[in-house]
Amino acid sequence: MLSIVTRSSARRLQSPIIPLRSFSSSVAALQAVPTETRPLNKEFKIYRWNPDEPQKKPELQSYTINLNECGPMILDALIKIKNEVDPTLTFRRSCREGICGSCAMNINGQNTLACLSRIDRNENKDTKIYPLPHMYVVKDLVPDLTLFYKQYKSIEPYLQTDNPPAQGEFLQSPEDRKKLDGLYECILCACCSTSCPSYWWNQDEYLGPATLMQAYRWIADSRDTYKAHRKEKLQNEMSLYRCHTIFNCARTCPKGLNPAAAIAQIKLHLAAD
Amino acid sequence: MPVRHSGLQKEVLALYRRALRMVRTKPPPSRDKFRLFVRYSFKTQAAAVSPRSVGTVEHLIRRGQRQLETYEHPAVRDCQVSREMRDWEVQERRRWHP
Repeated sequence: MLSIVTRSSARRLQSPIIPLRSFSSSVAALQAVPTETRPLNKEFKIYRWNPDEPQKKPELQSYTINLNECGPMILDALIKIKNEVDPTLTFRRSCREGICGSCAMNINGQNTLACLSRIDRNENKDTKIYPLPHMYVVKDLVPDLTLFYKQYKSIEPYLQTDNPPAQGEFLQSPEDRKKLDGLYECILCACCSTSCPSYWWNQDEYLGPATLMQAYRWIADSRDTYKAHRKEKLQNEMSLYRCHTIFNCARTCPKGLNPAAAIAQIKLHLAAD
Repeated sequence: MPVRHSGLQKEVLALYRRALRMVRTKPPPSRDKFRLFVRYSFKTQAAAVSPRSVGTVEHLIRRGQRQLETYEHPAVRDCQVSREMRDWEVQERRRWHP
């Protein structure tokens, strides 16, 4: 009895009467020959420096990646290198969609976010990746942004007002709100500040485009009543007027903002006082 | 004639002085530990680096300044010294008082 059952079930398996859909992992699917694609090997030259061996000079290390097995962005290539080739490669990254500003670095001579810049698929040309220029390096592609954040803190980047509403929300007219467009989107990635020659030479005193744009963001805010105090702080030779309208900041900004225009607005406000 | 130091040497000495003065702001029971820590970190790293490699020295100064800033905070009241530091202290003492 038992043998009959097993034999009949075996026969059913060999020739199915009911048409069954095969799983994608079944034999037929496995036999499909993948279309051969030519490997697209691209060379990345990446700045390396290790603080544990401070005597050694920084150097460019070269990695070759097959772009067919890699995502489209520079950050994908960096993550692939870190995962598969060299786990000691160090860089900051977080959101991989251009909203956190962690992966700011100098790619092919342009300060930008690694997650927003596409890999050039020309395999004859290498891609060079450096940390943000003129910053102290912590390790490999990680710059020391302590001073940058200190400067941001120095402009008091928060709402200061003497007459807040007794209760509920602090409302703004749509026109007043519109004045903040193009200012509030800044993610403080430091691409603009580190591309500014004025900032390179006077980092300790000149605030830099990113910080100044945020300073203007609070000057332009209709709810803020400490505008005079804010302007007073910028009224000196160095903090603001080291901007010589070079416009590197507007050219490099990965979010497409224009810090130079904001700085021009501050200058206008200060001149009007 | 007094010794003439280069700008870099002055920076290094200023950092060492600041570190040693930091020790005096700490509670008396832990001062010896802080002093040993400062002397050990300073002397071993100074001995490991050539005075000609300016970039390295500058990096170490920056690192030292950052480290010192945290140690200067009044909330830091005690520190740990390792076996290595104690051994180094004994060695130093033997060298100067055989």
